[in-house]
Amino acid sequence: MTDTTPRGLTRRRFVASTLGSAAALSAVPAWAQAKTLNILSHAVHERVLGKDDGDLLRDWKAANGVELVFTTFDSNPLQDRLFREASLPVTDFAVGYIIDNRPTSAIAALFEPLGPLNAVAPIEDFADIAPGLIQGLTVDGNLIGIPVRHATGGLFYNEALLEEAGIAAPPTTLEELIEQAKKLTFTAKDGTPVTGMIMASDLAVFPVSFARAFGGDYITKDFKLLPKPEAMVKALAALNDMFTAGALPRSYATTKNDDQVTWMQQGRAAFTMITFARYAQFNNPEQSRFPGRIKAVQFPKSATYDGPMAAVTEAWGMVIPRNAADKDLAWAYIREVASRRVTLGMARNGNGPVRVSTYAEPAFAAASPVAGEEAKALATARGAFPPFPEAARAQQLFLEDVQLAVLGHKSPEAAVESMVSRITPLRPA
Amino acid sequence: MRIDRLARGIGKGVAVAALLVWSLVPIAFVVTSSFKPGRDIFAVPARYLFAPTLEHYGALWSRWGVFFEGLANSALVTAGAMVVAVVSSTCAGYVYSRHKSRVLGASLLFLIVVRLIPPIVITLPLFPIVNALGINDTHLVLIVLYATFFVSLGTVLMRTFIDQIPRELDEAAAIDGAGRIGILWGVIAPLALPGILAVAVFVVVFAWNEFLFAFVFTGTATKTAPLVVSEMLGSIDGVDWGILFAASTVQLVPVLAFVIVMNRHLVAGLTAGATKG
Repeated sequence: MTDTTPRGLTRRRFVASTLGSAAALSAVPAWAQAKTLNILSHAVHERVLGKDDGDLLRDWKAANGVELVFTTFDSNPLQDRLFREASLPVTDFAVGYIIDNRPTSAIAALFEPLGPLNAVAPIEDFADIAPGLIQGLTVDGNLIGIPVRHATGGLFYNEALLEEAGIAAPPTTLEELIEQAKKLTFTAKDGTPVTGMIMASDLAVFPVSFARAFGGDYITKDFKLLPKPEAMVKALAALNDMFTAGALPRSYATTKNDDQVTWMQQGRAAFTMITFARYAQFNNPEQSRFPGRIKAVQFPKSATYDGPMAAVTEAWGMVIPRNAADKDLAWAYIREVASRRVTLGMARNGNGPVRVSTYAEPAFAAASPVAGEEAKALATARGAFPPFPEAARAQQLFLEDVQLAVLGHKSPEAAVESMVSRITPLRPA
Repeated sequence: MRIDRLARGIGKGVAVAALLVWSLVPIAFVVTSSFKPGRDIFAVPARYLFAPTLEHYGALWSRWGVFFEGLANSALVTAGAMVVAVVSSTCAGYVYSRHKSRVLGASLLFLIVVRLIPPIVITLPLFPIVNALGINDTHLVLIVLYATFFVSLGTVLMRTFIDQIPRELDEAAAIDGAGRIGILWGVIAPLALPGILAVAVFVVVFAWNEFLFAFVFTGTATKTAPLVVSEMLGSIDGVDWGILFAASTVQLVPVLAFVIVMNRHLVAGLTAGATKG
């Protein structure tokens, strides 16, 4: 006799269990708290706000009954997600963190103009925030972001290697830097082969800094390409000279930002140019062979140039997507984070402070030995280039020509000519 | 003759050794570096002898607790995707094996074509849809996406397996009163187990390491381990390589163990149908 009783998986059981599982899983978001402020940021933005007893927003959160929920990504994925969220009909994220070289007119239109909010409920001592950073987050006359963090470039040097090579002080001019870098291309006493200077080849910030040291630039705020071409020619010639002398790594064309850090920590390079914020990492005794011996100064300008040296800076700002639900709460958060107290607290936790007054605070100066140099650099700093729709492609073309010139495959003059012809059509009309 | 054989043997040995070095050295570097003191990881010359330390694992636990939440999310999503993909592929493979029609033939071709489309092409248009459905940042969306992405390949694989199982067994079961699901569950599935395991391995390896879908469709609640690892590579405040390598090692262990356990079945699964005329 055949047993016809349904056993195991039947069609009905399969469908029922699938629907049940789906319902259970999709119910998860409903557990969220009643008053939640969702923030889209980099992990570092959450970290500098502190936690537990060091939570800089603890009182504010308690007073407002707010739970902050940070969703964090690395820089580029974060910007991608932020713009996508802001493009939706509605987003759960009321605050986002934006890099100041990203908002083109089209992107800026996705975010709430903050001027009117600041007029009604102003940020404490707004004029104290570095004007250059405010300008970077002002698009088409609208302030779309409140600066919260900056990363300004400086020249790092390994004091121990300088001493070993008989160099008493770090360079004060670009010419001295090149000379010292060549001298510091040697084999150290412990057998480590040292290269004078290391810099990543995939970022515009390095050739731009060299060009600015001669009074030139890549693209100005008003989209003028190579405002002083001869300065770029000199910059490329200087870089090529260093590469030819071995004062830049043979692997220059494939050198990345992280290589700069590991090479400096291991004593494989004597100089590098990177943001002042890396000071702690360079001198971390758990990672570095030279804790306390890697120091920083402003990137020097050429002795032939009389004007001010503009360091390259990148700023982060807090924005409110236009499609966000609770804009008042978002603005209240931004006001609190931008306050003098929180700015100082974040600076002590490793954040590049956006308020001029923070640099004068003894508590910050004590926590950051490079604060003085950073403050001087910040005074005249500006972004590597302004945002525009084809900025990424333009940077790629720019770097192609820079690399060819540095490696000696193209003369500096030909490289500059090529930049002009290829990048000009990409600039905004 | 002997010299020829010897030369061939040496050649094979060198080729295998080169292949092993090529594929294992990066993994060995990551795993050994996770036990090295931070300052020795990139020391020049490289330090092969060192006092092993667990400091990076401790730091991973204390500073990146979110990584372990990510692992739990990855495990849940991977298990869910595996179950859905295996069940769907087995059912679909059975249908394609036992029924022939023009529509089915065309749809099988469609399944293969769909598999050729780069994921990014379907990911971005899906974002507003998933958002409108309110299932963004849920395990469900990743389970469905990962399973969907592998159902086409899994179906083709399962059809090949089931083709090898004599139809007479279906007929005998049907005479005994078994329905379609009964035949599939009681007769076909046990015999097609190597294929099912092969599909499971594919889905697990894919879902465990997947980044793009997880990046687009998750937020705080369901962030998976690969997303957290990518944050450790963050460009703002520098990379702590020791912690990163410790996380990579921890993430590697479960999937490696799973693949080793399933290895025998995977090879059998991959070669299934190879000699079918």
